[in-house]
Amino acid sequence: MAKKIIELKNITKSFDGQVVLDDICLDIYDNEFLTLLGPSGCGKTTLLRLIGGFETPDAGDILFLGQRINDLPPHKRNVNTVFQRYALFPHLSVFENVAFALRERKAPREEIEARVEEMLSMVALTGFENRSVTRLSGGQQQRVAIARALVGRPRVLLLDEPLAALDLKLRKDMQQELKKIQKATGVTFVFVTHDQEEALSMSDTIVVISEGRIQQIGASTDVYNEPKNAFVADFIGESNIVDGVMLADRSVSFSGHTFDCVDGGFERNEPVDVVVRPEDVDIVPEDKGMLRGVVTSVTFMGVHYEVIVDIGGFKWMIQTTDFVDVDERIGLYIEPDAIHIMKKSEYSGLYGDYASFSNEFDELSDAESEAEE
Amino acid sequence: MKKASKVFTVLMFAFLFAPIAILLLFSFNEARSLSVFSGFSLKWYRELFRDTETLKTVRNTLVLAVCAAGISTVMGTAAAVGIHRMRNKYLRSALDMVTNIPMIDPDIITGISMMLMFVFVSRLLGLANSLSFATLLIAHITFCLPYVILQVLPKLRQMDASLPEAAMDLGCTPWGAFWKVELPELMPAIVTGMIMAFTLSLDDFVISYFTTGTGFQTLPIRIYNMTKKTVTPDMYALATLIFFVILALLLLSNLTDREDSQRIRAARKARRAAKGRPPMSPRRQRALYTAGGALVLAALTASLIFAVTETDDKPQVLNVYNWGEYISDGSEGTMDVVAEFERWYQRQYGRPVQVNYTTFASNEDMYAKLSSGAVSYDVIIPSDYMIARMISEDMLLPLDLANIPNAQYISEDFQGLYYDPEGVYSVPYAYGIVGIIYNANVVDPADAGTWDLLWNEKYAGQILQFNNSRDAFGTAMYRAGLDVNTTDRAVWDDALDSLMEQRGVVRSYVMDEVYNMMEAGEAAVAPYYAGDYFTMLDAQAPTVDLRFYYPDPTNFYIDAMCIPACCQNKTLAETFINFMLSAGPAIANAEYTYYASPNTLVYEDPDYIDEMGPEAMEILYPGWDDFARQYNAYAYRNLDAETLDYINTLWETLKIN
Amino acid sequence: MNDRSRRRSLVTGVTSAPYQLWAVLFILVPLAFVAYYAFTDNAFHFTTANIARFFTATSPVTDAGGSPVQVRTYMVIAWRSVKLAVIATAVCLLLGYPLAYIISRAPAKVQKTMMTLIMIPMWMNFLIRTYAWMTILQDTGILNNLLAALHLRRVHIIGTQTAVIIGMVYDYLPYMILPLYSIMAKMDHRLIEAARDLGCAPAGVLRRVILPLSMPGVVNGVTMVLIPSISTFYISQKLGDGMFFLLGDAIEGQYVAGNLHFAAAIAFILMVALLAAMALMRRLTGKYTYGGAAA
Repeated sequence: MAKKIIELKNITKSFDGQVVLDDICLDIYDNEFLTLLGPSGCGKTTLLRLIGGFETPDAGDILFLGQRINDLPPHKRNVNTVFQRYALFPHLSVFENVAFALRERKAPREEIEARVEEMLSMVALTGFENRSVTRLSGGQQQRVAIARALVGRPRVLLLDEPLAALDLKLRKDMQQELKKIQKATGVTFVFVTHDQEEALSMSDTIVVISEGRIQQIGASTDVYNEPKNAFVADFIGESNIVDGVMLADRSVSFSGHTFDCVDGGFERNEPVDVVVRPEDVDIVPEDKGMLRGVVTSVTFMGVHYEVIVDIGGFKWMIQTTDFVDVDERIGLYIEPDAIHIMKKSEYSGLYGDYASFSNEFDELSDAESEAEE
Repeated sequence: MKKASKVFTVLMFAFLFAPIAILLLFSFNEARSLSVFSGFSLKWYRELFRDTETLKTVRNTLVLAVCAAGISTVMGTAAAVGIHRMRNKYLRSALDMVTNIPMIDPDIITGISMMLMFVFVSRLLGLANSLSFATLLIAHITFCLPYVILQVLPKLRQMDASLPEAAMDLGCTPWGAFWKVELPELMPAIVTGMIMAFTLSLDDFVISYFTTGTGFQTLPIRIYNMTKKTVTPDMYALATLIFFVILALLLLSNLTDREDSQRIRAARKARRAAKGRPPMSPRRQRALYTAGGALVLAALTASLIFAVTETDDKPQVLNVYNWGEYISDGSEGTMDVVAEFERWYQRQYGRPVQVNYTTFASNEDMYAKLSSGAVSYDVIIPSDYMIARMISEDMLLPLDLANIPNAQYISEDFQGLYYDPEGVYSVPYAYGIVGIIYNANVVDPADAGTWDLLWNEKYAGQILQFNNSRDAFGTAMYRAGLDVNTTDRAVWDDALDSLMEQRGVVRSYVMDEVYNMMEAGEAAVAPYYAGDYFTMLDAQAPTVDLRFYYPDPTNFYIDAMCIPACCQNKTLAETFINFMLSAGPAIANAEYTYYASPNTLVYEDPDYIDEMGPEAMEILYPGWDDFARQYNAYAYRNLDAETLDYINTLWETLKIN
Repeated sequence: MNDRSRRRSLVTGVTSAPYQLWAVLFILVPLAFVAYYAFTDNAFHFTTANIARFFTATSPVTDAGGSPVQVRTYMVIAWRSVKLAVIATAVCLLLGYPLAYIISRAPAKVQKTMMTLIMIPMWMNFLIRTYAWMTILQDTGILNNLLAALHLRRVHIIGTQTAVIIGMVYDYLPYMILPLYSIMAKMDHRLIEAARDLGCAPAGVLRRVILPLSMPGVVNGVTMVLIPSISTFYISQKLGDGMFFLLGDAIEGQYVAGNLHFAAAIAFILMVALLAAMALMRRLTGKYTYGGAAA
């Protein structure tokens, strides 16, 4: 097992009486790419700022390599940050921005020049030394911010939604590049995002946070395949979440039908949340289906269709390559290993119904939350 | 730009620069006039550089502006940073509100409020000299502060809050982050705030007028007080010089300085980037700091030096308080009496003396300052009725005539005058008689001779009247044969009726504006003092033919040198008075002011008689054989407060009609 | 509260503490003195006589028909001051607004030069500037000589209300232009394009987009011109031929006459009235900001 770099122990933080972080415990290991994932306002940025030293916890301890650093000011921490809007110093050139930390340490001139050049070449900005940072594109500013934060060779790099301001194509490129830089430097990255796809594609470890509490910690695949509760299931990927009752191990009843499944360890007749991913549902003729319903909408998504089916008033989402028509009556077939059973939680019943689902709304609310932060 | 907006812009700038062009032009005028250009000359520039008192006030104004701007910039920036970080909402909005007060309050209220406080506190603590450079500086800092804060605060609010965090993240201490990241970002706003503060301080008259005190006068106050003779053209020369200095500075700063406007800055940066120069190297940054720091340091040192020279003056200090333009000041080849005294004293006693010479615009103005108890002067030169008032209020010290042997040269006519019957509190400096000046090219000499000319409807719209209640009422009362010193309100009401009747024919109520108007032919009739007639005669336009006569009865006045109770060095003050009575300075003053001198050393001096000429001698020294009787009958006397208040009310009534 | 936030609030306290102290000592306390003097007599006993005098003192004047009537002295003076100040402010706004707009649309370099030019007159002493206007406007002055040379009719301006207003407009115009310009320079010109795109005629753009956006600048400018105009005493003396007795003249006159308590009372009433007016203006225009007058 790799070395623990940062340990957060029972961290609590509130602003103006409002609890933002509630009893957070988290270990961050050397050389890992860890992502704090959650909707805006969930406390992930605050958590990052606690590690960076810009906030102090109300309760709990932050350990850095085993040392308590609660009251250590930011400039004494071997941790650097890439800020959300980069926070490049507008009065300094690219070179001087990157050299900032080294000048602060009064490093010799040759060393500064060598290290800055090294960093700039790493982020492919050689030749931009004398540019004003205000004359750079968003992607270039992003790279300067990364170079600036890495030049001091921190043990941990904190990234606060660094890609939020970039357009989609650039964001994909930067995701690749960040991953590459992380591998090359061996620095631990703590990455904050509200974009679940970004989190899934980049991270070694994902920490899902909601309302100031950690919902789940795990590798990308674990978090996707084995969500711990309705919140995680809904936030990561698409999910149909329905109420069910565990009849026995490996047997669950929902939507008026009893299914075989692979999960067990629940009490007899325990109410549970049942998660079925849209891509795991097969469409079959109505009479062959385990469940039956009417198609209410069909959207072409490129690789597949997104089909909304009304089953006894509950709207399911199904992703399929087969074409069906609106108002067509169809049957659904679900494999046992496609059914994931979760214990009831405070999030039960809040997510998983696609009754009000609309692509446009989704994007709109995404844009809004970006703007807010 | 469209044509219409181009024309509009040009017209607006023409409007803005018209008076400046006039100043520029007339600063090269040969004559004293601001309306008639009689030939090109650099005379007024020479005069300006010879005028040590004016140059001193220029220096004072600059020192004050630099100190006020420097201190308010440092304190204001710190305050803005503090307010910005303040968590307590109530305290913050309270501070915001208080910051706005000096901006919402008119200058006159700020000035009065500070004056009231300084005066009250100084009385409470028994301080003699509380109105001084320090109070002026406090007042200026106070009205400059909001401008600095309101420049810096929005910039702070605009600034990305993570900038200082980024700096700390990269190893800066919070203090270091402020210096290296926040301050450079704020610099344009700070510089703008500082320039605004400097500008406001430089141009302020109203607040200074109320808070200025002993020995420290700024340029605007000196100009305002030039009431005895009117603003001299070397002021235009000064304004012209200021204009060119500022123009040069701005051009220079345009070449080297960073600009404020975001857009310009971006463009400039693009240009720099194209040249491959970094927007700001650490060296450049250091240079900027050094410049800013140097300015602040200069301000602090200047104020320190000033404070030191103010308090720790080794040479003795003599504070003289006189009317503006009422002493020979070295202009046009005359004697600089104040400088001459300093030299003479050094020679005579082997010790230096420093004279702080300041001016006032009226007796009441002087009285207001002195009675506040917050100033301290050694020699003052008020008029007769004010001397009487001050004696009755124990504000004057009896003179030790043994120290003023030259008092023996004062004509015997000036003994036994009502205001100082024993002659113990005052020594006459100059005297005058109110006469009527008229333009013979307009006025029929047959209409002249009496006060009625001022009421003559033939010359409606061409008649001037004093813009001062006592003198204006005086003209009406002499005309009607009323007692100018009565406490009978009915008599004053009658005088008001007479002035109301006159109002229809009056062109303007004037004080020193009379010079310009009479010289240029703007008005044809004015009551004023005999000596001033000659000043006007010197500068009259070719189309104007000024004449003078005394109506009967008329006002006599005497201005005399006195020592106020707050005097710090009485012997020195008496030495100064004695010096002023000696032949050289006395003649210089009489020739400079054109006022009649009670000093036999002056009016019996053949050179003086020759210099003035027979006409002037006849008018200035009409040779009444019973001067004292006439004087005691017709001069203004001190009136009680109720009567003065009543006259003031009547005056306001006249003015609102 | 933990160590570091305590340190932070300490820093906050230390940096703004001198100003807080200063503000109390030299802004609030002096104002308290104005109130104190306004409500006391010469012996510093409480009285409302000074305030009452302002509202009740009467003077006989001749009305338009030539018959004598009694008017409230200070109400007449106050009304005249307000009238002149409002006219001067309106003229400043009418002249300053388009000029600020033209400047804000000019090329960057021209903008800088023009704003500098507008600032320059403020560096020349305002007494001297006013004096210069006297010689321009008087009957035998430069303006009339110019008109005569062009064979036009001479105009009588000096000593009229117009002259006083010209003086006020001249002296305070930069205070109108600076805040207007600073807000217009920051205005996003895409907004204007957007309005044009949505079918707004230029006049409509001005009324529906530019004007509302520049409102804070207008409020600032109006404040910064109205306040000095309402309280001036030098301009009215020099350019008004001593015929226009304004509130500033009244305060100064009472000060010189030694009536400190009544001078304070007039100042106090003026201050309260201005604060009320500002509060009203803030309410009417919604948002308001002072200062922000950037060069």
